[in-house]
Parts: sequence; C-alpha cells; structure tokens
Amino acid sequence: MSSSLSLKIDSDLAGVGPVARAVRALCSETLDELALDELELGVVEALNNVIKHGYAGQKGSLVQVRVGLKADKVVVEIIDQAPPMPPSALQPSDPWAGIDAAEPQDLPEGGMGLALIQMTMDEVAYSSRKGVNTLTLTKLLSRK
Amino acid sequence: MLSTETIDGVLIVRVEERRLDASKAPLFKEHVSAALGGDVNRLVLDLGQVEFIDSSGLGVIVSVLKRLGPSGSLAIASANSAVRRLFSLTRMDRVFILYDTPQSAIENLRA
Repeated sequence: MSSSLSLKIDSDLAGVGPVARAVRALCSETLDELALDELELGVVEALNNVIKHGYAGQKGSLVQVRVGLKADKVVVEIIDQAPPMPPSALQPSDPWAGIDAAEPQDLPEGGMGLALIQMTMDEVAYSSRKGVNTLTLTKLLSRK
Repeated sequence: MLSTETIDGVLIVRVEERRLDASKAPLFKEHVSAALGGDVNRLVLDLGQVEFIDSSGLGVIVSVLKRLGPSGSLAIASANSAVRRLFSLTRMDRVFILYDTPQSAIENLRA
C-alpha cells in the first residue's frame, strides 16, 4: 500500500491549522491517536517555522505539503523556496534543559519549534538544492 | 477569544478558541494581558474548548505565569490529550499543574 497527496498553501500562518488538520485526517486510519497528536504538532511547528523564519512572516509565497502513506510509515514533506535554514538549525537541542531547577522567569517562551519537530517525529531530514528546501518528517507505525 | 470570571479571588480565563497557534498567539496574549489587570495573582486557564496548542500558544501561557510573579499561581484545567502531550513533551507538566476540571483547579488554588 502506498499513496500520496500534495497540498499547497500560501505562506500565511492562518492557513497552517486547516492543512495540519487535513494531514491528520489523511493519516487517521494509519496512526493511533497519540501518533496523530504528535504528527499534527510536528507539522504545525514545521509550517510555522517556514512561514515565520523562512518567509519572514510575509504572505504571498507557496508552501507545499506532500503526504505519503506507506505500509510502515507516514512521510510528510514540507517544501519551500525560502532562504534555507543553516545546517546547525536541526542539531538536537533541548530548550528545556534544567527546567526542573529553573525559576519561572527563566522558562522559554519561544525557540521551541525545531526541538518539538525533533521530539514528535521518528526521523527528520532537511535538504536544500537549487533554491528548493525539503523538510522530510517521518512517523513510523507503532507496533500495537 | 476568551471570557473571564472571578470565583473566591481566583480569576478563571476560559479560552474560546479551538486552536491556540502561531496565528492567534499575539492576539491571545493581548487579551489575557488585558484580563489580568493589577492585583490578580491566582489564575485558572480553562482549556475545555481548546483542541490544539502549538509552541507559540504555550509561549503565551508561560508569559502569563511570568507576569503573575513569584507569589502568583497558574493552573491549567480541562486540557485534552493533544494539549497534555504538548505539556509533557516540553516538560511544562512539571511547571504547571493540570486539573481535569476548572472546579478542582479553583479548589486547589484556594486552599
């Protein structure tokens, strides 16, 4: 079994929710509820990141979302033509390190998106070729 | 976007949005700030109508906690499984106490 679907949205934060819900709905037969919650969160953070940082919050550019359903995994590709992320952006990071000892004033209010993408997905890959960036998010089917 | 009520000195902020995400976070922050006023230091955030929160929405909740100051307390009520997952992934479930209902949150803040 393998099928795929491609969606295109404008680089507008208001469009992220509907697309994330559509991706969730597409995968609802394939993944369990916890995996769907994580997938939706990861896709939202990835799209927010492209729009807020790649396109600097400007509307009017296209972001493509390609969903591939395979027998053993769901693969979501986020494709944009914004300036690419630096290679260091997807290094594992922990914005919450030391949170147990942290005072409320030291808690992070932002900069959590990329870490959440890593935490919600089983595999994350990023490539940038000829001005086209592809963030590939993979969620493996959990063995029930 | 939200409605408020004060019970026994505890401010209850009921979020009337299904999604608290990057597109809504700036406005949400404005509305909550306006609701806080001067002398509020115990607050229950009722998320019963909220289906989804992203890191931007969570950032606003953290900013509210900071605004309440060292003597303040902020409790979360009626978070669904997706929101609870966000709190556990980010370890914010160690910073905020999540209650099943606004009533149980109010009782604990009052105690």
